[in-house]
Amino acid sequence: MGPCNHEWSICNVRHGYFVEEGCFECGARLSFFSAEPVPPIDKYREGRHYWAYLGSFQTVKFDLKCRACAGIVDLNDVNGLMLSECTDRDCQVGALVHQQGPDSLVYVALCPNTSHPTGKCVSSEGIEALNQYFRAKLAPVGRKVTIVPCKLCNSIDKCRGTSIVDVGLTDIQ
Amino acid sequence: MKVSELAQKTGLAAINEYKDREIERVYISDMVSDLIASARTNSVVVTLQTHKSLIAAANLAGAAMIVIVNGRKPSEDVVALANRTGIGLFSYDLDSWAFAKKLVNLGFE
Repeated sequence: MGPCNHEWSICNVRHGYFVEEGCFECGARLSFFSAEPVPPIDKYREGRHYWAYLGSFQTVKFDLKCRACAGIVDLNDVNGLMLSECTDRDCQVGALVHQQGPDSLVYVALCPNTSHPTGKCVSSEGIEALNQYFRAKLAPVGRKVTIVPCKLCNSIDKCRGTSIVDVGLTDIQ
Repeated sequence: MKVSELAQKTGLAAINEYKDREIERVYISDMVSDLIASARTNSVVVTLQTHKSLIAAANLAGAAMIVIVNGRKPSEDVVALANRTGIGLFSYDLDSWAFAKKLVNLGFE
C-alpha cells in the first residue's frame, strides 16, 4: 500500500488563552496555552528563571485528522499563527515573504518557546500537515499560503506580523 | 449568490477592491481566532471586529466576504490587506442580528 494522499480536516478544537510570560532575571520569554476559564497570572520560580505574567489573548487550538487514513497530527506545539509582514531579506521568513506572489501570504506557526533554547520548534510533521490542509482548502478559491515554523525567524520579538488572537474580549470593563 | 449581488440586495457599498466570488454560507463571530477552525470556504463573515487579524484569519478560512457591523470602519492597512486577499470588505450600520435577518430573507439558512 502506498503512502496516504492525506485529506486533512480540523479536529479536537480547544478554546482558551495564549499566555505570555517573561523572566525577570534573564529576559527570556515563553508562552503556553491555557484552557482555564481565567488565564493564570501567578509569578513562579523555575530553575534559574523567575517567570512573570506579561499578557494573554483568547485563541483556538486544533489538530488535523486525515479522512482517508484516520491519522491525526497533534498540533499541541502550535500556540498560534501569525501573518508575516517581515521585510528583512536577511531573515528566512522575510526572504520568503519577498518571493511570494501578490496572491500568496506567509504565516508563521508559533511554538511555545520562541527563543528556542533547545532548538525545538513546531514539528516538521505539523508544518507539513498545516501546509497541506490550508493549500487544499484554499486552492479552489485561488489563494495560496505558506506556513513556516517560527525558528526560521531571525527574532520573533522583532518580527513584523499580525498574530491571529483575540485581545480584550473577556476583559472586565 | 455572488458577493456583488448580495451587496446590492442588502444595500452595502464596498470598502475595497474584491474578487466577485460565490457566497455559499454565513458565519457570525466576534472572535477572530475562531474563524480558522469554524468558518468555511466561500462564507460571508459577519463581525464587529476591524483589526488586521480579522483579514489574516478570514484568508485562512477561505472567506469570500466580510461585513463589519455597527457602522465600524477598518483602517487603511486593513483595507490594503483585504485587497491582497480579494476578500470583499463591507460596513453595515446596524448590528449583526439586523444583517442576519437580511441574509435569512435572501434564503441563507
